[in-house]
Amino acid sequence: MGKIAWALLPTLLCLPGAAQNFSQRGFLESDLTLYPETAPNDSGQAIDDSLFRYQASYKALPWLRLAGAFDARFNTHEEVERTAHLDWQDRSLERPALSLREFNATITKGKLTAEFGKQFIRWGKADILNPTDRFAPKDFLTVTDPDFLAILAARVTYDTGSDSFDFVWQPRFTPSRTPLINERWTVLPQAVDGIALVDLGSEFPGRSAFGARWNHIGSGYEFSASFYDGFNYLPVFQGAFSAPGNAIDYVRTYPALRLYGADAAVPLRWFTVKTEAAYYTSPDRQQDDYVIYVLQFERQIKELSIVAGYAGDAITARTPTLQFSPELGFARAILAHAQYTVDSNRSVAVDAAVRQNGKGSWLRAQYSQAMGQHWRATAGYSWIRGDDSDFLGQFHRNSFALLALRYSF
Amino acid sequence: MNRLAAIGLLLASFCALVWAQDARQIIAESENRSRSKSQQYEGTLEVIGASNKVSIKRWEYRRIGSFGVSKAILRFTAPAEVKGVALLIVNHTDRASDQWMWTPAIERDRRIAAQDRSTRFFGTDFSFEDLEERDVDQFDYKLAADDTIDGVACWKIESKPKESKSSQYTSSMVWVRKDNYVAAQIESYLKDKLIRRIHYSDIQNVSNIWTPRTVEVFDSNRKSRTVLKLEKLEYNLPMKDEDFTLEALRRG
Repeated sequence: MGKIAWALLPTLLCLPGAAQNFSQRGFLESDLTLYPETAPNDSGQAIDDSLFRYQASYKALPWLRLAGAFDARFNTHEEVERTAHLDWQDRSLERPALSLREFNATITKGKLTAEFGKQFIRWGKADILNPTDRFAPKDFLTVTDPDFLAILAARVTYDTGSDSFDFVWQPRFTPSRTPLINERWTVLPQAVDGIALVDLGSEFPGRSAFGARWNHIGSGYEFSASFYDGFNYLPVFQGAFSAPGNAIDYVRTYPALRLYGADAAVPLRWFTVKTEAAYYTSPDRQQDDYVIYVLQFERQIKELSIVAGYAGDAITARTPTLQFSPELGFARAILAHAQYTVDSNRSVAVDAAVRQNGKGSWLRAQYSQAMGQHWRATAGYSWIRGDDSDFLGQFHRNSFALLALRYSF
Repeated sequence: MNRLAAIGLLLASFCALVWAQDARQIIAESENRSRSKSQQYEGTLEVIGASNKVSIKRWEYRRIGSFGVSKAILRFTAPAEVKGVALLIVNHTDRASDQWMWTPAIERDRRIAAQDRSTRFFGTDFSFEDLEERDVDQFDYKLAADDTIDGVACWKIESKPKESKSSQYTSSMVWVRKDNYVAAQIESYLKDKLIRRIHYSDIQNVSNIWTPRTVEVFDSNRKSRTVLKLEKLEYNLPMKDEDFTLEALRRG
């Protein structure tokens, strides 16, 4: 795949001559993150992260489109690898310095669309938490600000306008990128103080995953039902004391997962109701069985857009494992998003999650301003409060300010 | 001389007939004359704020169907940061349109809550309601006066939404050109206060449809205006229904 990608990339880059069938875009962004507090395992308080992204697509034939995206990154906090190979797998613990973010071919024939290659697949209808999105692993190096990762898959869609049927086959597993063990977004329990943690790597599933979804758009409503059979992209950590007794060897494994999901959106006179729910069950009993659901209300009042809702869960069978699970971590919470568009260049946004037991809360406020046709500056602050016992609350030392400057082209 | 008199008589009869038309007929005729199976153009928008700051946006627009049973996809091509953002609009005769937005940065489509159609359309001075197709039966009309816009004789027609029609405006004044039945200007009011003025100019015959190639909207609250220029405008191109679905929105 890597060699093929290298071979085809120049072809894509040379296509602007093919006029209107070619389109490209991208940006160069520099983010400065400032943490007022240090964390026990991380004294870094200022991090600069730079990202160059280039995306191109070419409609080679009326029925064939090729698309690719390339990322180049640099980071001052060792969250990005310092090697110069082109990564296409997204399986590394750190972010790759050079990566093929997306690379796929789309074939269209009437109502049928087939997409092959590295691509993004998003299913859910809710805005803040999407329990049905199983082909959408994320980069969780900053837990409250994740970024989606593409997967290698074949996707076939039959869309009649009112009904669409989606079939996805994922031959190669892509995990979510979890917080680095030596950085502030991994909060270690006091019980492991003084004990060395030895990372023995990841055991990736050997078989492929499959999913299907039916979406129906009716008169004044929309719903879908989905099924997934594969593996959870969030790992379970399996550890054991090594022989001397002052170290724990651990390995990441990915539980087998079967999921039954549904979602709906109903625009009403005063607001739009969106709901999404999924039942997770693990055939190999490597994780809990549970239901996650989201119910949200959405309203646009002139230039103010408001989304507010509740995410809940119900665990139906427990398995004693240690799993990184931000989805459950953001459940049992009131979630909200509001955005005010000041004018064509300026906007203000607020996001919030408050756990119902009051033990964890997260609030993010952002101001963003475009300058001219290419530049945008964003300033924001994320507050995190709570107890060590809570998924969100455990990050209470990680409130941070963000300054971002982006040049888009 | 007799021939001239006859022609004069005919013209007089025709004028009398035209004068006799009621306001609703004029609007219906205007709608009929602009009907097409499909439309495609590239739009350039200049948003000029109260402080004369100018921002430029560009989009590609494709529509299939006409008046009430149409579907449209609008895809931004500039500025760079919104390039690829697209909107699918499915219009219905009996209810507000369904709308979905595709955001390439997060690789997903989402249904837009469209309860408040007075919301500005993507930072321009158009509101969502201004861009909706008007169904002639959802308004009451009254011929208010004769007037001229840009030196051309127009019918000035007062239009009020019927009770069943929800609108941010309590009334509108529509100027329809007498020479080609094209709307030359629309002023929309909330009670007596002017909210928006939309002015149509650069009217050209494209595929036998008289079409304004420049549309200027003035927002009287913000004192800002947006100028939309329609380029590469074409009507009745062959288009397929399957190019106006959520899947089509996603694949671009």
